[in-house]
Amino acid sequence: MKLYSLSVLYKGEPKAVLLKAAYDVSSFSFFQRSSVQEFMTFTSQLIVERSAKGSRASVKEQEYLCHVYVRNDSLAGVVIADSEYPSRVAFTLLEKVLDEFSKQVDKVEWPVGSPATIHYAALDGHLSRYQNPREADPMSKVQAELDETKIILHNTMESLLERGEKLDDLVSKSEVLGTQSKAFYKTVSTGPLLRAPLQRAVEPARPLCPLH
Amino acid sequence: MNQREISKALMEKEKPLATPLLTSLFPSCKILLDELSSTKHWASMHVSDHSGFHYRQFLLKSLISQTVIDGSVLEQNPLRSEPASVLPKDEEAAASTEEPRINLPHLLEEEVEFSTDLIDTYPGHETLWCHRRHIFYLQHHLNGRFPHSVTQLSPADSPGGTLSDLQLVPAGPHTSQAMEVDGLNDCSKQGYSQETKRLKRTPAPDSLGLEMEHRFIDQVLSTCRNVEQARFANAYRKWLVTLSQ
Repeated sequence: MKLYSLSVLYKGEPKAVLLKAAYDVSSFSFFQRSSVQEFMTFTSQLIVERSAKGSRASVKEQEYLCHVYVRNDSLAGVVIADSEYPSRVAFTLLEKVLDEFSKQVDKVEWPVGSPATIHYAALDGHLSRYQNPREADPMSKVQAELDETKIILHNTMESLLERGEKLDDLVSKSEVLGTQSKAFYKTVSTGPLLRAPLQRAVEPARPLCPLH
Repeated sequence: MNQREISKALMEKEKPLATPLLTSLFPSCKILLDELSSTKHWASMHVSDHSGFHYRQFLLKSLISQTVIDGSVLEQNPLRSEPASVLPKDEEAAASTEEPRINLPHLLEEEVEFSTDLIDTYPGHETLWCHRRHIFYLQHHLNGRFPHSVTQLSPADSPGGTLSDLQLVPAGPHTSQAMEVDGLNDCSKQGYSQETKRLKRTPAPDSLGLEMEHRFIDQVLSTCRNVEQARFANAYRKWLVTLSQ
């Protein structure tokens, strides 16, 4: 059960702006880490750009689940987790983080901010604490506030894209990905966005099911 | 580092491929109990990983087979190969001093509570439901009237089922088969048909336990918002029904 990244972004038009991010790439091999981090930033931005204001979604990409919450004021949060991590807790975390962020960082800074200019230091702590969902949020399963039926489910990153858009093109055009990362992406024949960490005796991956 | 420490260190890294191995083929009850408590956290943080729960099933089965049930008296299994220093000659002393008294029903109850807690907190993981079946069956086996048998149950197919056969390590000192380290390896095939016949003759699982399980299933179905969870709950119900036929 793992969280890999937690990011705060601003959904500008047309691009999403990364304001602050925290990563836990310790489970990846040393030489993969910076690429993985870049891909997670790339993915987070892409997801926010393709999600409507006032929406929540979970996007599945291989072993990963990316949960996004875009507020009506265009402040957005993305958490990239594994498939074990309970989504309810992920959305609680996003709500909490964006609420805190909006109180600490002035609105005027959002459209033009960057991790270097934004003063918000709590993200690493949140990411670390929420690695254990039950300790971080023991009451989560009791909360009825979040209407889970409204969470949009995407079974692949591709389903976020416009007709005719290719992930490969977006990757090559990306300013967030370094040359090494782009080269790495090309060498993998099926072009998965993120390489899954070491396999273990897990349950078969299942497509996301809509809630009844 | 000794083997246990290495195993522990591996477990703490992100994704171990195999369950930790015990250093001995015949671990003492104390080691089994320690392992049960120390692996609880890992299992709860890897709820889609069968290996953690398989290991717990192995520990519980080992504890059951280490304990000969004779009426209401729990005696230590004389076949245990722990060095003599751990075993005082006087059995009563053994129960009260060197070896921890094992309350098997209580342990299994705790495991059921653990399972309930995980199923409620992390909906939609087949592993957790598989584990619950194993524990229920162990409880039934313990409460039942056949403490010395080898029993084998093929659970009803769950839809899209990947459930492995439930097989129990031989209990009691009179079976010819040595205790297996990996409890889920197949028992001898020739025993199969004999055992299924025996199973069909057994009395139904205790009805109170069954009733509680059905209530649990009802509670899950009425509150869950996850399609997979509902599917697993229904499959579990069907399996319980097969068990009592």
